[in-house]
Amino acid sequence: MRALPYALFIAAAAIFPMAPVRVFLETPNERTMGTAFKIFFFHVPMAWIFMLLAVVCGVAAGIELRRRSRRAAAVARASAEVSFLCGAGVLLTGPIWGNATWGEPWTGDARQMTTALLWLVVASYLLVRQYGGPSSRRLAAGLAIFGAVDVPIIYYAVKIWKTLHPTTDVVTTLPPSMRAALWPALCALLLVSLGLVIVRTRQVALEADLDEAWVELDRQAQGVTA
Amino acid sequence: MTGMHSIIAGLVGPWILAAGLVTAEPAAAPAGAAAQPEYAPVVGVSREDKEKAAMLEEAVAHKVARDYEHIVWAYGVLWGLFALYGVYLWRRGARLRADVDELRKAIDARGKA
Amino acid sequence: MRLWRQTWLLTRSDLRQELRDRELVLVAGLFSLLLVAMFAISFTALPAGNNHRVVLPGLLWMSVAFVGVLTLTRIFDREREADTLRALLAAPVDRLAIYLSKAAVTLIILLTSCALLVPGLALLFPELRMIVEQPAAAGLMLVLGSLGFTAVGAVFAAGLATGSGKNVLISVILYPLTTPVLMFDIVATRALLERHPDVWGYVGRLAALDAILLAVGALLFESIVVGVGRTAERRAS
Repeated sequence: MRALPYALFIAAAAIFPMAPVRVFLETPNERTMGTAFKIFFFHVPMAWIFMLLAVVCGVAAGIELRRRSRRAAAVARASAEVSFLCGAGVLLTGPIWGNATWGEPWTGDARQMTTALLWLVVASYLLVRQYGGPSSRRLAAGLAIFGAVDVPIIYYAVKIWKTLHPTTDVVTTLPPSMRAALWPALCALLLVSLGLVIVRTRQVALEADLDEAWVELDRQAQGVTA
Repeated sequence: MTGMHSIIAGLVGPWILAAGLVTAEPAAAPAGAAAQPEYAPVVGVSREDKEKAAMLEEAVAHKVARDYEHIVWAYGVLWGLFALYGVYLWRRGARLRADVDELRKAIDARGKA
Repeated sequence: MRLWRQTWLLTRSDLRQELRDRELVLVAGLFSLLLVAMFAISFTALPAGNNHRVVLPGLLWMSVAFVGVLTLTRIFDREREADTLRALLAAPVDRLAIYLSKAAVTLIILLTSCALLVPGLALLFPELRMIVEQPAAAGLMLVLGSLGFTAVGAVFAAGLATGSGKNVLISVILYPLTTPVLMFDIVATRALLERHPDVWGYVGRLAALDAILLAVGALLFESIVVGVGRTAERRAS
């Protein structure tokens, strides 16, 4: 169990070399977007992981609220951090891709906007968790739950605004060779992210335990001197 | 980056040229070649076609190089972010370990006292 | 039935207090006028016509969001000053009724400030005057849009009021969370201004979103404000 994150990292390292080989050597260029389309193979899995971890954070926050579980609190915090990281990756690679394809880094398109908004929710969760103090714990958890509820709403919002962003069904209409290149990238990224979440969860839990242990030690010391 | 440009141009160039030749050949083939056996014309393309091909080739090479630049940036950013987070976790872990050791020492000291 | 009765009683008592000192309405109203004045300073150079139609929905709903945060902060600050929220939470009152009554009071204040905002903006941007063509859709849109904002806002404002209370956090929490509502509002308002045939469809979507947000807010209110459930990990001491 201790070695689980390392096993995940090693598995990711084993899968990862497949991704560039498939992406760069075995995949045809997409006709309208050209070579820059290769960014897709990491951009899209990253966006999925970003959303997935945001939802995981919301669910863990729900368990934290319901059962006052500290383990769930640690999971919520860790997945929010990794989600924040992936979101930053999506938001940075998106404009690079856009700049290559549309000649414009930020088109203000609905999906970009909504990804950015969800990212801001995650960021504000981390902020409240960090600076709100112990009394804002429940507040932060509520924020995460609302954020998770927002994910499908945001997704739906994309359908209302008709935009020039590649639509949601780009993956199902993808030629098989392109889809084959997507899986290794997705698996590698997912494994790395999960490993990071587990490592961070343990750290957060350990931090809380340590704090408590120090407080306990102080209390005992005072009891001895008194 | 210029090194990369020239490598890519070198890789892509001949193919483009070949493609240009293949597509241009039927149009440029002289009709009366069979009638005048003593005169062997240059089979291939006119100067304009060659120039057009060169221009296209240059444009494609430029576009590919620019796209590659974008890809290098995108992938660099992604893995750079993960690496930064890894370093952050590492430092945090080191600090936690130090804290645990300190706590242990404090407990030991208490035990002796 | 008891829930509605309690909600009604709580709302009425809040409104009575408001009628006595008129603090919330006056502050929110003046702030709305200030916002209109600031928009006037910023956007008078904007050429009329299509530009106005594009800018207007954003200005309107941004103002509602600003006024909403101001009002929510003030409502719960007042409770905290008198320490009445704690008493209310300890009283044998359904917590859901507290949530609903606070949301209702905020909604009423927001609508009053809308009554200033909309004419003010219409004075600046003549395009807005066309909403008199569809008063029902426009009115319903204002109500539903403000309701969506309050449904989220009341939960977090109450949570902040019972905690150690860093009120700065409310804007950091509320603005990102309410952006979907604002987006729906803005799209609906633009549809209205452009005389889109499916205005009611947009209003319907807004209503559906409100229902979701109210349901989530009602589910979460108690656990965020007072904390429920038992400790899963009993610590050996």
